[in-house]
Amino acid sequence: MKKKKYLLLFFWLVASVSIWAQSATTPAGPDPQVGQLPQILTWVLICAAAALFFVAMLYMIKVNQFLYKRAIQLEARLNNVNLPEDADAPVIDPAGDDFWTRMRKKYWEDAVPIDREADIILHHDYDGIRELDNRLPPWWVNMFILTIVYGLGYMIYYHWGGSGLSQTQEYEQEVAVAKKEIALALAGKANAVDESNVVALTESGLLGEGELIYKGNCVACHGQKGEGGVGPNFTDEYWIHGGGIKNVFKTIKYGVPEKGMISWQAQLKPSDMQKVGSYILTLGGTNPPNPKAPQGVIWTETVAPQDSLGKDALPSPTK
Amino acid sequence: MSRIEQFQYDNRIVRAFGTASFIWGLVGMLVGLIIAFQLIYPPLNFSQYGVPFLTFGRLRPLHTNAVIFAFVGNGMFTGIYYSLQRLLKARMFSDTLSWIHFWSWQVVILCAAVTLPMGLTNSSEYAELSWPIDILITLVWVVFGVNMFGTILKRREDHLYVAIWFYIATWVTVAILHIVRSFEIPYSLFGSYSVFAGIQDGLVQWWYGHNAVAFFLTTPYLGLMYYFLPKAANRPVYSYKLSIIHFWALIFIYIWAGPHHLLYTSMPDWVQSLGTVFSIMLIAPSWGGMLNGLLTLRGAWDRVRQDPVLKFLVVAVTAYGMATFEGPMLSIKSVNAISHFTDWTIAHVHVGALGWNGFLTFGMLYWLWPRIYRTNLYSTNLANIHFWVGTLGIIFYAVPMYWAGWTQYFMWREFTPEGTLAWGNFLDTVKQIVPMYIIRGAGGLMYFAGAAIGVYNLYKTGAQGSFLANEAAEAPARESYVPKAVAGEYWHKWIEGRPLQMLLFSTILIAIGGIVQIVPMVFIESQVPKISTVKPYTPLELTGRDLYIREGCVGCHSQMIRPFRAETERYGEYSKSGEYVYDRPFLFGSKRTGPDLMREGKKYPDSWHYNHMMDPTTMSPGSLMPAYPYLLDYDLDLSLLPSKIAALRTLGTPYPRNFEKEAIGKAKEQALVIAKSLNEQGIKDSGLENKEIVAIIAYLQRLGTDIKIQPVETSK
Repeated sequence: MKKKKYLLLFFWLVASVSIWAQSATTPAGPDPQVGQLPQILTWVLICAAAALFFVAMLYMIKVNQFLYKRAIQLEARLNNVNLPEDADAPVIDPAGDDFWTRMRKKYWEDAVPIDREADIILHHDYDGIRELDNRLPPWWVNMFILTIVYGLGYMIYYHWGGSGLSQTQEYEQEVAVAKKEIALALAGKANAVDESNVVALTESGLLGEGELIYKGNCVACHGQKGEGGVGPNFTDEYWIHGGGIKNVFKTIKYGVPEKGMISWQAQLKPSDMQKVGSYILTLGGTNPPNPKAPQGVIWTETVAPQDSLGKDALPSPTK
Repeated sequence: MSRIEQFQYDNRIVRAFGTASFIWGLVGMLVGLIIAFQLIYPPLNFSQYGVPFLTFGRLRPLHTNAVIFAFVGNGMFTGIYYSLQRLLKARMFSDTLSWIHFWSWQVVILCAAVTLPMGLTNSSEYAELSWPIDILITLVWVVFGVNMFGTILKRREDHLYVAIWFYIATWVTVAILHIVRSFEIPYSLFGSYSVFAGIQDGLVQWWYGHNAVAFFLTTPYLGLMYYFLPKAANRPVYSYKLSIIHFWALIFIYIWAGPHHLLYTSMPDWVQSLGTVFSIMLIAPSWGGMLNGLLTLRGAWDRVRQDPVLKFLVVAVTAYGMATFEGPMLSIKSVNAISHFTDWTIAHVHVGALGWNGFLTFGMLYWLWPRIYRTNLYSTNLANIHFWVGTLGIIFYAVPMYWAGWTQYFMWREFTPEGTLAWGNFLDTVKQIVPMYIIRGAGGLMYFAGAAIGVYNLYKTGAQGSFLANEAAEAPARESYVPKAVAGEYWHKWIEGRPLQMLLFSTILIAIGGIVQIVPMVFIESQVPKISTVKPYTPLELTGRDLYIREGCVGCHSQMIRPFRAETERYGEYSKSGEYVYDRPFLFGSKRTGPDLMREGKKYPDSWHYNHMMDPTTMSPGSLMPAYPYLLDYDLDLSLLPSKIAALRTLGTPYPRNFEKEAIGKAKEQALVIAKSLNEQGIKDSGLENKEIVAIIAYLQRLGTDIKIQPVETSK
């Protein structure tokens, strides 16, 4: 009777876990055809391990009970006490319960009603505190077992032969997916601007956007009006890393870390770097107060910015 | 029947601990309020005036220590000293030990309150205190243990009630946790380096930190609940069997769950997975306590309406149930990706601290105070007001923090279709949640106000009553020291009569998890793959690192880039465990109020850091970081370098022989280089090489740069 109960519970658990497992594992493998067999094996393994664990738990409890009874018997013999018959009678009379009540009591909730508490109150009291001998709430036991099965399944899936990805593999997958998506998004878009094809914008709306980006990100080092601070002055005609939109774009994009200019390509879209670069070029010759002393060399355009000589034909500063 | 013995319970020690608990509670909450408002209005750090003691970085550990060890610690001792005597029908083993315990514990707290604002910390969360204080804590704990076990051994009850099982497990586990976490080599009166390095130190830390929550905030309070809840409700405990199963399962499983604080870090996957699965398996054992509490109230729910004590206890147990369900959910890696480093974690711990620990303490004190003062509670109305203001306070605290956590996480990881971060400037994600911080501050204020009302109520209760210092009691003497097993009794009764076996079994059970996780990580080299280019810190960088620790930078800045695209795009290559092998202590951090600094090195020029330290808002308008102008004023103290180098070499850092003799010279050389570069970059001050700022710049500029030495990749 007791054994049957445990078996039933166990199969119910396994069944529910495998349903959950199927929905959980499908998105993991890139190709559902390939991963099929190992996954089935994995779940066979999980079930076997769960069964073993379950049996081991039952066994442990039995051994414990046995050892305790032995201890009692030994002590009784030593003290010449006669042991009464094992009083393991069920407290609740199940007669009269219909099927659903029996199921509820078995698997869900089985508290002895308050008015019959006297039947299960333990004889001891601790500073007035008494204890009832209610069964473990069955749903609680089920939940405990479920979490143990989940734990085993988790370890098998990720470590003991399952097909779970390591966190590094997860990362590589994430990056690969993103790369494809970005390529798709950039295809034929204005954002495809880079240092080889960027042109200075002149439209006032776009320059206004550039100004906003400048105020949000650049003023800390280059000053409110481009007069310079930690970073160089934008209003004079001297440039450290070359003037002109292509050089400015490149400096913004990659930065010059050894001199303190950080790379912005993770924070600004290419079109934003174009806008802010174009805005910076408009600051030339504005003569703000407190200008920083010139740094670098005087920049003159030796090649027309629109020239399409290819990537390597970037304008270079004059000596 | 044996003869009846007369004896007296010691209420004076209970009153002392209770008073300490609520006074320290108010102090701890007040510090919490201050740091909450510092995040809204940074001038409250007062560091811009050159006052170093009140910055967020220094006050945050004071807040956590005050609440955990002073408020909850004293609360725990209040309840234990009250219930233990009565459950064992015996006065405490020794009044002298009781008072040594009390006063030395307050000395520990005072030491913490002085040293932490001074920046004397070793930066491991909840174990920040310097090594001399660690030793004092150990001694206090031994005194407490002797006193408790002495009382247990001279008890007049054959069997130990479930509350006492929890007290025993608490005592032994906290002892082991504290001792292992405190393995460190001192280099000065207050300074020390952890014997564990990097990822190993992280593992030991979260084995400790997580189980400080488990065995300092949870198990002793479950013990208190098992005493005070049935007492207050006047109902029998729901299920004895449930007590047994959930107790043993809880202490065994809890210990394993520490690595869930390190998910998606460079901790090996197998350790992380153990953390996850044991956290999931922890739901039922944790809920066993909640169920036994709530189901004990069957038949007493009508009184919950009238009795403020029961109200507090019900909310406490419910908050416990919520937090112990949420915790396992946060241990699932994909959920943890959201919560880790965000305010979700802050919300989670405050549901536990404010709800479970706070309300249980208040409920207990409201029940206990009238009894030891032989009177009624001064005002039930005030207690009800306290209850409602406090409950609303918890809600106003927690809800905005959840919101802030989720908001910030989703901003961190949002990309434009073109593949750039939508919120590339970290500060934008901070400004977004400041309104939530304001509501949180209001919630905290409400909770504090409630607590203040509570303290007033307890004070008036004391004033109107007359204190019963020694409460007379009687019980039959116990015949034998080994209780006989009685036929028909449940098998567990055997161990309930044998406290030493109980201590032994608890010790074995709680040791297993830690051993399985920590021993391989520390002793098997392949667990932490070496990186050849990672070298020990230079003497100046080491000095800067210790300043970083002194200022508590780790409270807001992590040094752990997780393998997510959103993090590698923002911060750079994800962290490898081999990069941390010379980090003693580790500085992964657990909250990003500011950005991660793992790869801060060489990202900005020296002058940027100089200006940023002087006033962060010049470089990052709107920044919430305190200003550190005093780093520009304070003279660089290199005198400890030789002993620091010697300590680190003892621990295995490969500094060459006799390097300690050159260390100061090397540090000065590097300081000159940095001072010169600052001058070149337009910082006009002279003598910068003698100021602390150069050391901290040296450290920041080194961070995460070692692996870039390899000619692997960069964004070219």
